[in-house]
Amino acid sequence: MAKTGLAARLYRGEADLNIVGRRKLWFTVAGVLVLIAVLSFAIRGFSLGIEFAGGNSFQVPASVGTMAQAEDKVNTALAAEGGGAKVVTAQKVGSTSGQYYELRTTQLSADQANAVKTRMAQEFGIQPDQISGSQVSEAWGSQVTSRALLGLLIFIAVVAIYLVLRFEWRMAVASIASLLTNLVLTAGIYSLVGFEVTPSTIIGFLTILGFALYDVVVVFDKVQENTRGITANNNMTYGEAANLALNQSLMRSLNTSVVALLPVGGLLFIGAGLLGAGTLKDLGLVLFVGMAVAFLTSILLATPLLVLLKNQDPRISAHNKRVLARRGAIARGEIAPKGAPKATPAAAETIDPEAAALAGAAPKVGARPVGKRPTGTRGGRPGGGGNRPGGAKRR
Amino acid sequence: MRPGRQLAVLGLIFVVLYLLVFFSGGAKGGWQDRLEPRLGLDLIGGTRLTLEATNTVDGKPPTAANLEEARQIIESRVNAYGVAEAEVVTEGNRNIVISLPGENRDLTDVGSAAELRFRKVLKATDGSGAAAAPAPSASATPAPSGSATPKPSGSASPKAKPSGSAKATASPSAGGQGGMAPTPSASAAAPTPSASASAAPTPSAEPVPQSVEQQRKAVEQKVGAAAWAAATGLKAPADLTTDPSLAEKLKPFGALSAQEIGVLPADMQFNVPTITCAQLDDRPAASIKDPNQQAVACEAGAKYLLDKAKVLGTDVKDANAVLDQTSQWVVSLNFTGKGQEKWTALTREAFNNEGQACDQTALGQDGKCRVAVVLDNEIVSSPEIQGVLTGDSQITGSFDNKSANKLASQLRYGALPVTFVPQEQQNVTATLGSSHLQAGLLAAGIGMLLVIIYSFFYYRLLGSVIFLSLVLSGLLVFGALVVLGRSIGFTLTLAGIAGMIVSLGVAADSFVIYFERLKDEIREGRSPRSAVPRAWVRARRTIISANAITLMSAVVLYIVSVGAVKGFAFALGLATVLDLVVVFLFRHPIMTMFARTRAFLSPRVSGLGRALPARSAEQGTARNPRVKEA
Repeated sequence: MAKTGLAARLYRGEADLNIVGRRKLWFTVAGVLVLIAVLSFAIRGFSLGIEFAGGNSFQVPASVGTMAQAEDKVNTALAAEGGGAKVVTAQKVGSTSGQYYELRTTQLSADQANAVKTRMAQEFGIQPDQISGSQVSEAWGSQVTSRALLGLLIFIAVVAIYLVLRFEWRMAVASIASLLTNLVLTAGIYSLVGFEVTPSTIIGFLTILGFALYDVVVVFDKVQENTRGITANNNMTYGEAANLALNQSLMRSLNTSVVALLPVGGLLFIGAGLLGAGTLKDLGLVLFVGMAVAFLTSILLATPLLVLLKNQDPRISAHNKRVLARRGAIARGEIAPKGAPKATPAAAETIDPEAAALAGAAPKVGARPVGKRPTGTRGGRPGGGGNRPGGAKRR
Repeated sequence: MRPGRQLAVLGLIFVVLYLLVFFSGGAKGGWQDRLEPRLGLDLIGGTRLTLEATNTVDGKPPTAANLEEARQIIESRVNAYGVAEAEVVTEGNRNIVISLPGENRDLTDVGSAAELRFRKVLKATDGSGAAAAPAPSASATPAPSGSATPKPSGSASPKAKPSGSAKATASPSAGGQGGMAPTPSASAAAPTPSASASAAPTPSAEPVPQSVEQQRKAVEQKVGAAAWAAATGLKAPADLTTDPSLAEKLKPFGALSAQEIGVLPADMQFNVPTITCAQLDDRPAASIKDPNQQAVACEAGAKYLLDKAKVLGTDVKDANAVLDQTSQWVVSLNFTGKGQEKWTALTREAFNNEGQACDQTALGQDGKCRVAVVLDNEIVSSPEIQGVLTGDSQITGSFDNKSANKLASQLRYGALPVTFVPQEQQNVTATLGSSHLQAGLLAAGIGMLLVIIYSFFYYRLLGSVIFLSLVLSGLLVFGALVVLGRSIGFTLTLAGIAGMIVSLGVAADSFVIYFERLKDEIREGRSPRSAVPRAWVRARRTIISANAITLMSAVVLYIVSVGAVKGFAFALGLATVLDLVVVFLFRHPIMTMFARTRAFLSPRVSGLGRALPARSAEQGTARNPRVKEA
């Protein structure tokens, strides 16, 4: 097994990376990053797009030329008088009373708007009164944002209840914590780098919600499966079992992320490369950043956090002590090893129920050597239940 | 589990969906037109309507807070399901600009029905003058032929039907709820010929900040002193048949424009028989808005003098169209705390006819006062109050599903604090345009191609299952978009297209879960035949719980949020549900069938064989002893 490369081991779910063991490192890194992100919110804030701020609109008769020409000239006028304002959208408006171009710009003061209007009239060679201008409100009101945030909070509450019912409260806490970290870090990247926040960004941000938890749920599902009845034997600590589950689902997590990131990358490539800016780029960017962060937090944060919480559970901590005591005994040669301890995290062994029951006692005669030899009676476990003959208490 | 049956269900879903695409209501045009999803403002442009706010007759602009409140109400009206991607913004200090995707949409109803008032009916007269008016002669009076260009007015004729009488006796419904039965108007028919429609507005009628007094002066000059004096002298609706000279005197009123009528005192509007319902209905929207003034309005051709408005639209908390016990459509009303007090007071006043305020002509069949529900200038319904109403109330009448819902929605949104005059409707071009649409589709293509290449590379032939199911998801999503676009106005913007691309990528994830599970099982030494159902059971649990979370986020966001986020949440939920459909009805049965083939385990074909360590592969499909705790 050791000879094969990392890729092949990943493929078989036997990468044997010690992620849970280095949890202090992950927690420290995550803590520092969250702190940086929060500081950045406070100090740098976000650069909000025009949709949140409102702006001005100008109506120019369609007789001045094509829409592109009109847009160019308005931009010239804005550059001269508008103090950095830009044309955001240009539309042709038609009705029975004639046609005109409507150009929406970023926000201008009343004086600026008048100056720009006069300048525009010069550029077009028409009378200033042929151009009308007015203020327009934001299309994305503050209400939209506040309701979206309210929705986020309610969602977290609902999903917490769901996770408690579906798994247990520790898993719920760990997954919500990792979700929040994910959101904070994504927002932090936006704040730090100064990417513009547009409605598309917020929508993309909300998409990450589901995705981040999705990843965590899949890993926890495996953790739950692997640690079911773990206290019935003394081979693995909870942390090791969780680490094993993590390794087993690592390839899946990686695949998921790659598969989800590929189309997002396509969006980003087209949006940024071909069109320069706009909805596609905004959405692609936030999803790319968010999904990448989600991949990392689900692996590096959620499970270690779960192990940290689980180790507080008296039953689990007693179990861990037993396992470690037994290992110590093996190391001192007091009892015969039931299998190479090194191998345990990588490849789960069939656990001998008798040995489990007699854990810590003298070595059993029938202790099974490393399992190459088909034992027939034991190997073929019927159905999906536990490997215990029955009656052994779960967990 | 029979794979064939599941595939049949999927096939059925497809047939139904695409039958809906091609033949459901609203589908028209050629085959290609029927396949068009509804695209957003940013991609194909749309229709725009500017609503100009008029705050009563004084012409002052409404406050910014009022305008914003109105904007939100209009937005929820335009975009009831939150998926139409309408854009509603305020412009300047008195305009609200509504843009809806698609050209030449009808937006005329959007800004209408703004001001809701509950007013007691004090007096009633039919539109022509005398109660027992000989119709032909009376109706002929108001039209000074040739003196004005008749304005094409649709509102003159439809009022003329003497409807509602059949249901008028509906009594209070049981269960603590008060009932109100609309009483039909006394008049048999409104003898207001459309020829009497008002004259074209004169320059003086511009809705400019001209005080009411000045406007009245202008009207006084226009009709002449004699007519004015005669009109002011009236204390009751004049009977023109008994006094033909009066008819001659009052004739000029019939030539007044709707705006000019609007500035006249309520008494005069009511008493002068030559002022027709057509003119009254055409008054500017805010004419009878002031709750502290008596007002005149028409219902079914009858002119009513209405009391001050004691209950306003803002007092209504909610209104719904419901079926009562007798399977009649009624509109149930729910008031706010304060509104309920006011409503109770108003109904008591009306029930007892306090101070004999209601004239004999205005009483309902049971001799009780009626309360008119007035929206802008028109009386929606004027039920007789049959009890002091202290709780939720119902408006009964000859409603059908549609009219009850319409009234409920008018009442619900009747709290608009401002009145609007719709301006000309316009078409606007796309903000982004077709280049962005093409770029979006190109991005979709590239993204899908990458996913497919990756899955073929990684899962070999199993990649074809991913490929096929992505195509299926795509077709399902597309069909759903077309159908939903037609039925609830679901609109696809560029952001929506991007979201759909992403969701298809995420959908591929449930395949990954399944296949990785399958690999696990095969690595443990199961034969493909037994591995597929086992992996399915495990993966199903994971897929369901993971999708449940996404679905939860979609539902919560859809319920709570407003505007674009609502539309997004809808799309997310849709994509998730369709993902589940494809997973359960396509991928699983296909895999079950696939597992029966010999090639399944070959490393070349499925890539699954690689999961087996070389040594156990030698043992063929025999059970590997290294069974894992799983």
